[in-house]
Amino acid sequence: MEMFIDPHIHVTSRTTDDYEAMRKAGVVAIIEPAFWLGQPRTEVGSFKDYFSTLIGWERFRAKQFGIVHYCTMGLNSKEANNIPLAEEVMELLPLYVGKEGVVAIGEIGYDDQTEAEDRFYRLQLELAKEVSLPVLIHTPHRDKKKGTTRSMDVSEEHGLDPKMVIVDHNNEETVKEVLDRGYWAAFTIYPHTKMGSERMVEIVKQYGPERIIVDSAADWGVSDPLAVPKTAALMRQRGIPEEHIRMTCYQNALTAYSQSGQMDEMDWLNPEPIDQRQKQYGNSVLRGGQTPKVEGSDYVEN
Amino acid sequence: MKDNPVDKEKVKSFLLEVLKENVDSKSIEWLLQQKEKIAMEASYLKFYMAFSQASRYFKKQLLSLSEKDKEKANQLVKGFSPASWDQLQTARSYLLLHFEENDPSTWVKALNKLFETADMHEQQSLYAAIPLMPFQKEMTERAIEGLRTNISSVFDAVALNNPFPSKYFDERAWNQMVIKAIFLQRPLYQIQNADERANHNLAKILTDFAHERWAAGRKVMPELWRFVGPYIDGENITDIKKVLDSGDLLHKKAALLACSLSDFSEAKKLLELYPDLKAAIQNGNINWESIGKEFQSTIQ
Repeated sequence: MEMFIDPHIHVTSRTTDDYEAMRKAGVVAIIEPAFWLGQPRTEVGSFKDYFSTLIGWERFRAKQFGIVHYCTMGLNSKEANNIPLAEEVMELLPLYVGKEGVVAIGEIGYDDQTEAEDRFYRLQLELAKEVSLPVLIHTPHRDKKKGTTRSMDVSEEHGLDPKMVIVDHNNEETVKEVLDRGYWAAFTIYPHTKMGSERMVEIVKQYGPERIIVDSAADWGVSDPLAVPKTAALMRQRGIPEEHIRMTCYQNALTAYSQSGQMDEMDWLNPEPIDQRQKQYGNSVLRGGQTPKVEGSDYVEN
Repeated sequence: MKDNPVDKEKVKSFLLEVLKENVDSKSIEWLLQQKEKIAMEASYLKFYMAFSQASRYFKKQLLSLSEKDKEKANQLVKGFSPASWDQLQTARSYLLLHFEENDPSTWVKALNKLFETADMHEQQSLYAAIPLMPFQKEMTERAIEGLRTNISSVFDAVALNNPFPSKYFDERAWNQMVIKAIFLQRPLYQIQNADERANHNLAKILTDFAHERWAAGRKVMPELWRFVGPYIDGENITDIKKVLDSGDLLHKKAALLACSLSDFSEAKKLLELYPDLKAAIQNGNINWESIGKEFQSTIQ
């Protein structure tokens, strides 16, 4: 079966139906970047518990549907503007960046492009260097072109190698510079805003598959957890070569993030069998009376 | 309960010895470097980072141990069973023992932070290592918190192959642990000192649980009857009879093994009705471990 990686999806806000649909569509691995929750947090403990969820419960939940879950750790640009809180989060981050399956520092960068955002972006670039992790840059929605250029300028000022940096949320206006400067260029496919699959196909036609990454960034807003497989299907329909589809919807993400040493194809090519009985009762993702999915054995109910 | 202090130095060198037998020298080299750094650094961060980054140098592969190693482990800390440990958690426990803090409340606070920010495997390592920690009684609440997890590998680290619960849990916590282990269908024979901590309340809770399951047309796991056996009475003997009449040999064996733990005359009489199985119980061929293993093989 065709395999996909969705290297940007906020699955903590998605349902188990989404997980099932993703697995069915061929998504084998996902990366969940640490982001905000749709409203600002007010306590550092909320960050701590969120980070712990990313390396704990959510990873466990994904595994029950046969999907390998990785994450990135970081202080997002929006919440960098609450300076006292941001300082506390910066003290917390070193505890999380060395955890297993943390494949990058991110998503970090600019939102309003304030002084505070700049300060915490730079601090996190230094952190990434210190622990030899790639960086996932969130480019701003407003004043995007300038913000994207600035993100790369500052990253270079701190001496990061472009091949260790993934610049996300690109569009037709930003892609050329990002690729020319040697960065990975990620594209978020949103149903109504940012990039749609049609535009994505045109970009791959124009620029080829090298260093281009497709993701869904699906979250609590209107978004599509199947954006990667759907875009791949559209590429195929429009005559994009198979190898280009594989690169943009699977291999490039793997190559970029496996630079962390924390992501390995064998994690899904040679996985433990899915077993939802190795669970979590109480708040199990399975409720009483449901039959869990078990590969390679018959389920015998107690 | 009296705290028997762990001989930390001896445990450290035992863990290191075992690791040397199991992993390559590059990993050991890294571990020894981290040990030095932890000792030199006043901040806890070095320790926290080393604890996490151990995953880059050690695998989640079960330790391979000689019989002598196993005996030695048990001599060092009664009940300590590294045969159920993997290489990575052994390395993490080794680092943990190098985290020096002489004041118990400061130590517990630092450890709690590690627990609260731990990923799945780190939690598993920490809970399993509690019996090796310098301050144990102080970790009781933390261990109880570990039972509230939804992640079975973390639950197992507290409940199974661990001498801590039977030594430190009060009856309420102990009973919760056993009940949850039954809910999760965990191998109960791996709970240490299970018979010593059997109690009347637990027997009552478990027969109530069996009634609930039966009402829903479901079965209960056969190992459950181990905890009822010593408390068989005029009331719950009907439950034992019901299991005996169920026609399933594994469940029948479990019910009879429970009867063998009882002084209640009717239970003894039931045992007499099955002379072959009674003989197998007496010569040890039927025991809770064999029942537990057979049951686990039917659900896996």
